[in-house]
Amino acid sequence: MSAVTKFKPRYRADTAEIGLIDWDKLPPMSAEWVNALRTRAQLSVIETGMPTAKLERWKYTNLNAKLKKMSLRYHEAELDLSGMTDYAYSFSKGMLHCPEWVREMLEAEAPSNNKYGDMMLWQAANAYLKDGFIVDVPADKKTTSALEVTQTGRDGHYIVPRQIIRVGENAEMTIIEYQSGSRSYWANIVSQIKIEKNATLRHYRFQENSDESVITHNTHIEMEEGANYEAFTITTGAGLSRNQIHADLKGENIICRLNGVNMLDGSEIADTTITVEHQEPNCESYQDYRSVATDKAVGTFQGKIHVHQIAQKTDGYQMAKSLLLSSQATMNTKPELEIYADDVKCSHGATAGRLDEDALFYLRARGIPEKQARNLLIQAFVNEVIEGVTDKNVREQANLIVSKWLDQSDANSSAEWLE
Amino acid sequence: MIEIKNLHAEIDGNEILKGLDLTIGDGEVHAIMGPNGAGKSTLSYVLAGRDGYEVTDGSAELDGVDILEMEPDERAAAGLFLAFQYPVEIPGVQMTTFLKTALNAVRKARDEEELDAIGLLKLMKSKCKELGISDDMMKRAVNVGFSGGEKKRNEVLQMAMLEPKFAVLDETDSGLDIDALRIVADGVNALRAQNRSFLVITHYQRLLDYIKPDKVHVLADGEIVKSGGPDLALELEKKGYAEFTKEAA
Repeated sequence: MSAVTKFKPRYRADTAEIGLIDWDKLPPMSAEWVNALRTRAQLSVIETGMPTAKLERWKYTNLNAKLKKMSLRYHEAELDLSGMTDYAYSFSKGMLHCPEWVREMLEAEAPSNNKYGDMMLWQAANAYLKDGFIVDVPADKKTTSALEVTQTGRDGHYIVPRQIIRVGENAEMTIIEYQSGSRSYWANIVSQIKIEKNATLRHYRFQENSDESVITHNTHIEMEEGANYEAFTITTGAGLSRNQIHADLKGENIICRLNGVNMLDGSEIADTTITVEHQEPNCESYQDYRSVATDKAVGTFQGKIHVHQIAQKTDGYQMAKSLLLSSQATMNTKPELEIYADDVKCSHGATAGRLDEDALFYLRARGIPEKQARNLLIQAFVNEVIEGVTDKNVREQANLIVSKWLDQSDANSSAEWLE
Repeated sequence: MIEIKNLHAEIDGNEILKGLDLTIGDGEVHAIMGPNGAGKSTLSYVLAGRDGYEVTDGSAELDGVDILEMEPDERAAAGLFLAFQYPVEIPGVQMTTFLKTALNAVRKARDEEELDAIGLLKLMKSKCKELGISDDMMKRAVNVGFSGGEKKRNEVLQMAMLEPKFAVLDETDSGLDIDALRIVADGVNALRAQNRSFLVITHYQRLLDYIKPDKVHVLADGEIVKSGGPDLALELEKKGYAEFTKEAA
């Protein structure tokens, strides 16, 4: 607990109760170790509270302000598994027969907990360990269709679903998650993913949450030699979303792709915070994000590539581009490279701007009305990332979501720029 | 028929066009030549309706309708086409999507039936073939990675698809070698028709060897200062623009 002491002044213990809604009422589990884990986590939350803007990685996103205004009760998460469900199962009620590897993952420390001291949400999730799902793809199994997970949020619910995913050696798996819901709810999700030697996981997320919802999602990926991870997340909503991803590249020749598109309107807040740890040589990591923000929406992208001294021949790439369609929309972009090896290739770029006026005029000069021309350009902008998605159906679904967003959003109105 | 009368236009308060008059009959090809800074590109942008170019006086009528009050896309639907000097690269927008969107927008505005994907593909293929454009180019993003020649051929392709009444070619010869120039000129010549007029804006007489104009005008300091037949272009090639710039000054 030494690290906790070190960072203590930044903590706000008085925010703890936000993260412990109805905790006393949780029925105990029959597996004692789960109850012990919950209690340890609860004590940690009492000590540190919830993340506040005083923490470097939380300085753009005020979670507590949002949560304080909500009236929530803890509920079991509504999850529906469909498609390729052969290797997936929901947590059994008691977890008495929980496999040893699952228990090990559940009891593991949150990644980088000591270093940044801002993994309170992980602890808060541990305090409610109860439901969720496990995916365990055996070695050499190459699945052809995708596992689809649908999560629905209900008004007034606080849900804490856990995801434990293991893809065995040489195996291949695709998981598609759909998040949606109505009115005001908070989902505090932890995903723990293990991709073993030469295995592949394609992991897609469609986040179409309600305008009043809060989504905090911690994803921890551990990759072994030759493993391949492709993540793509499209977010059109949540009143506030925090997608925090931590990837540990623990072997050589790993390829890790973390890509996403954010389409934000109203007063939505979307925060993507990524850490990629290059711990071995000869690995590639990519972070490629496009954000479109209009009205008073706020987008945040914080991406870090940490190349350890041993990780020579690392190829790290990071690109975060944003399009601001109104004068009151905000985009915060913070790229970070921390490199201790001397023979590496790392690049990062960030842009923020309006639609290209030359391109807009060119399209209009060919007869395309202004609104349609703007939509075409916005679509093209996010398409730079969408077209890189391996799964064709996911590409098509993502394009549909973008079209729908463009139809609904006032993004198209240029009136604000006319003055 | 195009009738431009007493056209005045300015950018950021600087008057660039100072009372330009020009009439182009149906099926005619006119060329405008002139020194740098005479207002040649300004004229093309003012006609197409680009933001930032303010018309302070005068009119430009296409078949009796003043286009200067219209939005750029409405002008295109009315039958105006500007072949850009520097065609814009649009990453992420595929050529086929672009052509289909543009063509159907224009057809819709003209009360014509919109084309389905197959109809469009057929039309596109036949036009591409005429212009020596490979199918591969249609799969790429608009103008992205196109060579100078490909970009200009692409402009002619769009013109062929949109079938304008009046096409303005803004320095179409810039950045082209002789072979590319010939292909582009052949494409333009193939589009010459009784109900279609052209305004060819150029620095050099070279392009006019391939696209034969009915009339040549000299634009200097925002006005047409001299008009004549095709011979005027040859004369300018020999003498340069010195006499006009002096006059203007």
